[in-house]
Amino acid sequence: MSFDVNLEEVSQVVIAQAKKLGCSDVSVVVTRDHTRLIRFANNLVTLSSSVVETRIQVYVAHQTRRAVGVTHDTSPQSLERFVGRLVDSASRLAPSDDYAPLPSGPFEYPQEQNYDKKLEGEELVEHAHQAVDAALKAGAKRVAGSLQSLVRRVHVSTSAGVAGDDSSTKILLNVRAFTEDNASGHGLSCASFLSEFNSEKAGRAAGEYAKMAESPRQLEAGVYDVIFTPTVVANILPLAEAASAYLIQSGLSYFSDQLNQQVGVEALNVWDYGVYKGGLGGRRLDDEGVPTQKTEIIAKGVFRNMLHNSSTAKKFGTKTTGNAGIITPQPNTVVFGEGDSTLEEMIQETKRGLLVTNNWYTRFQNLRTGEYSTLPRDAAFSVVEGKIGEPVAGFRLSDSVLRQLKSIHLISKTRNWVEWWEVETPTLAPYMLIKDVTATVAY
Amino acid sequence: MCVSESLDEDLCVAALEEASRLGCGYAEVRLHVNNYTGYSLRSGVTEPTLLADSRGVGIRVICGGSLGFGATNVLSRQSVVEAVNMAVKMAKASGDGGEKYALSAEEAVSDNWRVNEVKSLYELPGDTVISLLRDVDSASNRDVKGFSFPVRLLRIDCSKELKLYMNSEGSKISSVVPRVSFHSVFVGLRDGERVTVSVPPGYSGLGGSGGFELIEKLRLEEYVSSRLAEIATTLSSTTAPPRGERVDVILGPNVASLTSHESVGHPFEADRILGREAAQAGESYLKPGEYKVRLGGAEAYVSDDPTIPNSMGFYLYDDEGVKARRRRLLQAGYVTELLHNRATATRFAAKSNASARAVRYSVEPLIRMANTYIEPGDWGFEELLKDTKRGVYIKSFMEWNIDDKRLNQRYVGLEAFLIEDGELKGSVNKPILEISTPKYWSSIDARANDLEFYSGMCGKGDPMQGAPVYFGSPHIRLRDVVLG
Repeated sequence: MSFDVNLEEVSQVVIAQAKKLGCSDVSVVVTRDHTRLIRFANNLVTLSSSVVETRIQVYVAHQTRRAVGVTHDTSPQSLERFVGRLVDSASRLAPSDDYAPLPSGPFEYPQEQNYDKKLEGEELVEHAHQAVDAALKAGAKRVAGSLQSLVRRVHVSTSAGVAGDDSSTKILLNVRAFTEDNASGHGLSCASFLSEFNSEKAGRAAGEYAKMAESPRQLEAGVYDVIFTPTVVANILPLAEAASAYLIQSGLSYFSDQLNQQVGVEALNVWDYGVYKGGLGGRRLDDEGVPTQKTEIIAKGVFRNMLHNSSTAKKFGTKTTGNAGIITPQPNTVVFGEGDSTLEEMIQETKRGLLVTNNWYTRFQNLRTGEYSTLPRDAAFSVVEGKIGEPVAGFRLSDSVLRQLKSIHLISKTRNWVEWWEVETPTLAPYMLIKDVTATVAY
Repeated sequence: MCVSESLDEDLCVAALEEASRLGCGYAEVRLHVNNYTGYSLRSGVTEPTLLADSRGVGIRVICGGSLGFGATNVLSRQSVVEAVNMAVKMAKASGDGGEKYALSAEEAVSDNWRVNEVKSLYELPGDTVISLLRDVDSASNRDVKGFSFPVRLLRIDCSKELKLYMNSEGSKISSVVPRVSFHSVFVGLRDGERVTVSVPPGYSGLGGSGGFELIEKLRLEEYVSSRLAEIATTLSSTTAPPRGERVDVILGPNVASLTSHESVGHPFEADRILGREAAQAGESYLKPGEYKVRLGGAEAYVSDDPTIPNSMGFYLYDDEGVKARRRRLLQAGYVTELLHNRATATRFAAKSNASARAVRYSVEPLIRMANTYIEPGDWGFEELLKDTKRGVYIKSFMEWNIDDKRLNQRYVGLEAFLIEDGELKGSVNKPILEISTPKYWSSIDARANDLEFYSGMCGKGDPMQGAPVYFGSPHIRLRDVVLG
């Protein structure tokens, strides 16, 4: 599929038009994605799709009044109308204290990009078959999943003299295996490089977990020490998202009022990377054209830094961390620091506990205090006196993020990349053993 | 504006011709335009206005029995033809490992429909919306029972969806649906205590399909300030609800409406029952060969109806060109009908009941709910209350979730009150209804006549598709349940 629109040219046309309409600041992010998707269920491919789309995000500031828009309609006439509407929308607002001038370039951008040319033409269906076959071989009866490849090109230009390009690729497999009695297991393989991707391993993991989880018993409600896999850690501890300065100033983060406070155990370290070399996705420059960077969010359990764009940085009297989002700063690539433990050691260490391999439907009761509940799905096991026990089911975990961060007992050296339905930001996460987690059951 | 004036029919025809030339047994093309404008106010300060426009063509083909999908937002003949070729290539790539996809026989339809607006959202001046939000903000920025609300996030979403749908069987349907909704979130502070609440509670919204008149009718200034005051009053409670004993529970429409969506609507989606969504949104407690079962008691009635005028999930034809109608899902506790598209209808030897929807051009149509609700009964709320000796009235909720087979659901009460001898006593703090789905639907013994709807976005699919829906319910009573 050909990409036939010149990204830089489109950006310059938009900037010129918005300036002509009186805007002091304009940023344009043109993103061109080629996404291919194979969905499969009951061991069969159910959908093969290929979608090419270009979207253009435009930010304008008109006498400190701001508006942001995204359009998929790239024809010159439509773009002109779109920019006109955007500027009109901005000009109708009251002046904003949140306005900050866009950072002036030019900038030097990091060299790293997680881009694998091989993914441009890679046929996906064979990888899907490999995952299905591996899960069946491991004992599953039914296998379902989705396999997606993304080839992304981005161009960012601003009225402050900034221009830069970015490219990334991803291949993401989410596979779920079921046994005859509907016990299930889950596997993931997430990579930017084909050489790091392993559909067979993900399928086998799903199949093995499903087999191990057959004939589960109903768990009794109670307090347990829980071992979480990287897939679960990445979902229940969205610490980088909570570090967004926008959410913190809005009072919608459990890290509000916690800067430089001990929020977790000393072994807890979390960073946001622009691009983690050899990792998953990432960006070299943000929506304001600022180079992305490595930002220490939590160091030795202390909440060290918020994630900023220019607007929030001005508000907090600091510098942007290269995490724009025009309105909301957002993480690029979340990396949990490695620990010194292994999954086996965690199991050995646990007297009365659980191993939870996957979860879903995490919902917060109070965003400010971090109280939430989540439902384990797929294989879960009791852990008794240092050994994996019976499979268990029919429970939910109910806890608070802030309590959990101070109750992390062990962190594994092994970390896995996670990005799937329940985890939107690429995250390198370890296994964790967390003490005293409350499990509840339905009446 | 006639839809076909703004949507290029020639492109759709070109796509269908190309699919035919490539030997596809079936093809459909959807020229799909979404325009969105979001206005918000954060603690009295205007946030940047958000615009989001998308416009493109999605093409589904059945080739050699396999399904392929392609899409492009470059609206040239060449690009659309390329997308058809890509869809065909993808379908053929499935080869022997592909599911054989067959569609139920349905009538070809030619129609043109739209939802009318009294006050057009497209022509709405942004300052009118912001001014309304300012009034709501001023009215809600006050102390109640020692709580102040220093953080107030108010939002009005306006959107318009235009579609031209054509298929190789001769259907041609165009539509225009404007939608508008209101949402708000507050952070409350009192003596170091911090809470986050939404109005309406449960992070749901108010609104529907139509023009700005739907928002004006809500009298938001009065509604939000009074609801916030009611919520703040109950937040003061430190009284524990009766836990671990059997009590009667009256659920308000805010809570009960979501139960119909989560534990009947979703598990009745036939693609879930067949395992097609197993890796993402999950499956169902219903099984393909044995779905006509008794799920609840004689008072368990749930319907899903896309044809409710001005509802958030309103449509007249689905995205497979099938005419919409009400679907009664649960009748006196028995499963009566599932939600079908044309493919699942074939598998169940049924006709499609028009449940296929795609939310933008770049995604395939999936089986979706429209407006799911517990049907009203004939009790008045006061009668229901008077008839309850000891129990808890859970008026609204804050946290909820459900497992991916939809058997184990939980709702944490926000506004809740003890009931003694038919009267509401004081507030109780955070009662938790954590209950299995059969137990829940078997425990309902009475439904009031005060049906209310809330708006929301229902998530499903990969890539994720947030579909506009209503969930509705009257007050209902559950007998002999245990709260946590």
